[in-house]
Amino acid sequence: MTLKEAVELAKKGRAYAQRTKFKEAMAYYNKALSLDPKYAEGWYLRASVLIDTGKPDEAIVDCERALALNHNYADAWSKKALALFNLERYEDAVLAATRASTLNGNDAMAWYLKGVCLDELGKSDEAQEAYGKSLELEIIMDMDAERKKVGRT
Amino acid sequence: MKTEMPLSKPIRRFLNQTEEMLDTEISLLRQPDAEPGGTLVDVYTYEMEKNVNVIIFPAQYVGLLKDFIIAKHCTSLLIKGAAHKKAKYQVLSYTEDSVARGLRQIYYDALKDEAKKQDKLPVNKLIQMLFILFTHFNDDLNELPWNAMINASVYHRMPKIRKTQLYHVMKESKNDMDEMIEQEHIVPRRYFVLNKAMFYARDMFLAKTLPADELMPVLNIPQMKKFNHLEVKEMLTTRWTHTAWYQSKVFGDNMLEIVDRHLDKVEWNEPPTLDHYLELYKLGVNLTNHLISFMTMKDWYVWEEPKHLLQAHQEKGEYEKKALKKIFGDLLGESWGEK
Repeated sequence: MTLKEAVELAKKGRAYAQRTKFKEAMAYYNKALSLDPKYAEGWYLRASVLIDTGKPDEAIVDCERALALNHNYADAWSKKALALFNLERYEDAVLAATRASTLNGNDAMAWYLKGVCLDELGKSDEAQEAYGKSLELEIIMDMDAERKKVGRT
Repeated sequence: MKTEMPLSKPIRRFLNQTEEMLDTEISLLRQPDAEPGGTLVDVYTYEMEKNVNVIIFPAQYVGLLKDFIIAKHCTSLLIKGAAHKKAKYQVLSYTEDSVARGLRQIYYDALKDEAKKQDKLPVNKLIQMLFILFTHFNDDLNELPWNAMINASVYHRMPKIRKTQLYHVMKESKNDMDEMIEQEHIVPRRYFVLNKAMFYARDMFLAKTLPADELMPVLNIPQMKKFNHLEVKEMLTTRWTHTAWYQSKVFGDNMLEIVDRHLDKVEWNEPPTLDHYLELYKLGVNLTNHLISFMTMKDWYVWEEPKHLLQAHQEKGEYEKKALKKIFGDLLGESWGEK
C-alpha cells in the first residue's frame, strides 16, 4: 500500500467532512491512517473532525502525531491551538497559535485564535495586534473570494 | 448556543445574552456560498420546528468578519424578538390591492419618462418592470432603515470589532451603489433616484456615526491604499458628489434628515434590555413610515406579520397578473405572464 492510496481515501473523507458528514469522514480517515500511519495530513484531518464533533482532547493527540511526523506543519499547530482553546487552555493555545502564525504568516485563523486567547488572558493590547493581523488577512481572502465570484458570473 | 467555532469574548457574551433574553437558541452555520452580509433564519419570521435561529455566514469568514456578522444578526434578532414578545412583530408586506396601486403609480411615472425618451422601451419590458420595481422597494424598505440602526447599535456596543464593521459597511455601500446601475436607462428616473437616495442617506448616516480613526488597519491592505488619508465620511461621500447623480444627493439629503430625526435621539449605550430593543423596533417602524411618505409610496405596502409577507411572495405572480388586469384591462392578453 502506498501513500497515494491513503491520500485518495483522505480526499474522500474530506469531501464528507465538508458536508458535515463526520461519521463517514472519520471512517475514511481511519482507513487512510491504518494504511499509512506516517501520513501527517491524515492525522491533521482527523483532528479537524474530532474538534468538529466536540472531542478536543483526542484532537490534540492527533495533532501531536502529525507534528511528530512534521514539526513544522503549520496547519497542525493551528488546529492544536483551536483544540486547546476549546479546552480553555488559553496559555498553551497562544503558544500553539504563535507557532502556527510564525510558520505561516497568512493563517488568519491562527492570528484570530491568538487574539481571542490573549483577550481571555486579559492581554488586550497584544490581542488587538493579533486581531488586526487576522482582519487584514481575512479581508484579503474575502476580496479574493469576491473576485472569483465575479469571475464565475 | 453550542459551537466548536472559536468566538471572541464579547461576541460569545452577546450571543449568550441574546439567547437568554429571548429564551431561544442560536446556531452558527458556515457555508461556502452564503451571502456576504450573512443571513439570519429566525423563529420570528419563519415557522420553524425547533426554537433555534440560524446565522449563516460565508466560509471564508473565520475570525472578526464572522464576529461582526454574528453581532449584526444578534442585534436584528433582539429587535425582532423584543417586538414579538412585547408588542407585535410586523414587516412591510403587500396585498392584491396595494400591488395594483403601486404598479399604477410606477406605470404613470414610467409613461412620463418614456414620453421624453428617444429609445422607447418595448411595451412588454415596461410592463414587466413594474412589479420588479415594486418588490425591489419592498425589499429595500424592509432592510435599509434597520441596517442603519443595527450598524449604529453594533458600533456603540462592540468597540472591539469597529475596524471589521468599517470594512463591511464600505463593502456593502459599494455593492448597494452598483445596484440598478445596469438598468439606469430602463428604470424611471424617479425610482432610480429614490433608490440611490435611500442608500446615500444610509451611507451618510453611518459616515457620521462611524469615525475614521478606526480605519487604519484596513489601510494596510493594498486594495484600500487609494483611500489613504481620507476620512470615512469623505470616502462615503466623494463618490456621490463626484457623480452626476445630483438629484440623488438632493433627495438623499432630505432622507438623511429624516433618518437623523429618528435615530439621533437614541441612547445607544442604554442597558441592553428588551425594552431598549423594543424602542429600536418602534423607531424603525416610524422611520420606515416616514421614508415611505417621503417617497409617496404610502398606500403601496401594509404592516403585517412576517407570514403575511411570505404568503404574499408565494402569490406574487397572481397579484401581479390581477394588478396588470386592473390597469390595462383587456389590452393585456390572457396569456400574459405565462411561460
